[in-house]
Amino acid sequence: MNSMSTRAERRQEFVLHSTSFIIFGIAIIPILNALKKTEATHIQVVSPNALSILLNDLYIVLSVGLLAILLGIVCAFYLEEWLPKTNWGRRWIESHVAILTGIPSVLYGILAISIFLSYAGTLKVIDDVPSAQNTEVIPFQRHTTLFLGEVLIFILMVMPVTIKTTQEALRSVVTPVREAAYALGASQWQVLMRHVVPIAFIRILAGGCRAMARAFATAALLIGTYIWHYTTETDGMSNRFLLFLGAALVLSVCSSTLVEIYNSIYNSNSA
Amino acid sequence: MAINSPHGLGNPTPTKLESPKMNLKTTSMNHSIEAEKLNLWYGDFQALIDVSVKIPDGQITSLIGPSGCGKTTLLRCFNRVNERYGNVTTEGKIEILGKNIYDPDVSLPELRKAVGMVFQRPNPLPISVYENILFGLRIHSPMRSLTRTESDQIVEEALTSVFLWEDLKDRLKVRATSLQLEQQQKLCIARLLPLKPKIILMDEPCSALDAKGTLAVEELMGILAGTYTFLVVTHNMAQARRVSKECIFMFLGELIEHRETQALFETPEHEKTADYVQMRYG
Repeated sequence: MNSMSTRAERRQEFVLHSTSFIIFGIAIIPILNALKKTEATHIQVVSPNALSILLNDLYIVLSVGLLAILLGIVCAFYLEEWLPKTNWGRRWIESHVAILTGIPSVLYGILAISIFLSYAGTLKVIDDVPSAQNTEVIPFQRHTTLFLGEVLIFILMVMPVTIKTTQEALRSVVTPVREAAYALGASQWQVLMRHVVPIAFIRILAGGCRAMARAFATAALLIGTYIWHYTTETDGMSNRFLLFLGAALVLSVCSSTLVEIYNSIYNSNSA
Repeated sequence: MAINSPHGLGNPTPTKLESPKMNLKTTSMNHSIEAEKLNLWYGDFQALIDVSVKIPDGQITSLIGPSGCGKTTLLRCFNRVNERYGNVTTEGKIEILGKNIYDPDVSLPELRKAVGMVFQRPNPLPISVYENILFGLRIHSPMRSLTRTESDQIVEEALTSVFLWEDLKDRLKVRATSLQLEQQQKLCIARLLPLKPKIILMDEPCSALDAKGTLAVEELMGILAGTYTFLVVTHNMAQARRVSKECIFMFLGELIEHRETQALFETPEHEKTADYVQMRYG
């Protein structure tokens, strides 16, 4: 590929990479913001329903994550099967997907925490009077914009992984299989539905599991932070924390097992 | 007799089924493929230069030439699988069975049904032997239009005509990729037959097989020729001499010589052909 790259292509690459850097430059700002806020926070009192709101949010976010996975799969099919390799948009998306998948989920977690801490900003505690009766707790309220931000982070975390793994799964269906079907007169749709999808299905599922594991791990991280920051009573909380962490673990194990199964079925005979 | 088909697809009447054979008998000089002034570019690179060729009906024609001379490209033009790679520009005319296949009204599935292709490496689909044979029919006929007995019969006939039935009749549910290479390649030929193609293109069909497999596939081609028109790309000149009646020599995208195989090998008209067939290079 490199030997074929022309000057125009190199210029395109340059534009691609510089836009990526700019985007990530922008992404760093909320992280810094979050760190600043962490220092300033010293609130220990929260209304009792704060946990349920957090959990509700997480459940919504995780279901959005599931939808994002489906969307990612559709997107990957479109990129891989319909757009030509030379398409500018495809290359733009692929380079960003590569960068986004490279980011560990902990970093997304920090971004998400920054937003949760902004939630915490809506909590005001009058703590200059030591008496407990004077402590006024303004309930932990849902903040739509911030909630959308949270959803966006989860989508950003889940979708690139799904797109990448799905594309790899589709590429793993070797050309001879496709050629064989095309040469018998199958249309692109028939080739996809009858061969590519059944073969790639296991790996697509593995990719979905991996993406979901990421989402659960981040959710666990959020709960952990919540425990650490806002409550002294960890009853029930640590259960949830362990539940989410366990889900993440199980899903990632599932993902690697599925890949192993795929390899044992389809790669054993190919020379 | 190829496949007797009661599946209600295409032309199930016996007279029509016989047609390729009868054409051959009555008009033996018919041409099933006629290419005229065919030019093809991969991007800026011209892979075929003014190729004009007539492939006779119902016999084996082989395509020889050094690597990269456009043999496979030419072969792939005949059922338009080339177009999948993008970046390909084709100019000129190819008539298959009297129809220009580059006309806008040509349906690719129908074309590929009539012009089957066998690839260099056996590429059975990673499903059972049984389903491999039926795949072609299934995609060309409406859902669930094949009954169990019909499909059993089709599979048996297809496998019998490539002499695999005895070996595989108890292993029809086995995944096709687990067969021996020779069996896989025969299966790849067998799965074309239920579609009743007129022409079978073969891209170095024996290069992945051992001597015994090669012999078996060559014998099979010899038996099936007459019913089908074969166009075979080969690097093996001995094979070209053994199996084909006519032979085409290509060099750097141009068609240099097209004659009867024996004449081409013994008294080549062109200097480049002589150099190649006498193995001074390549």
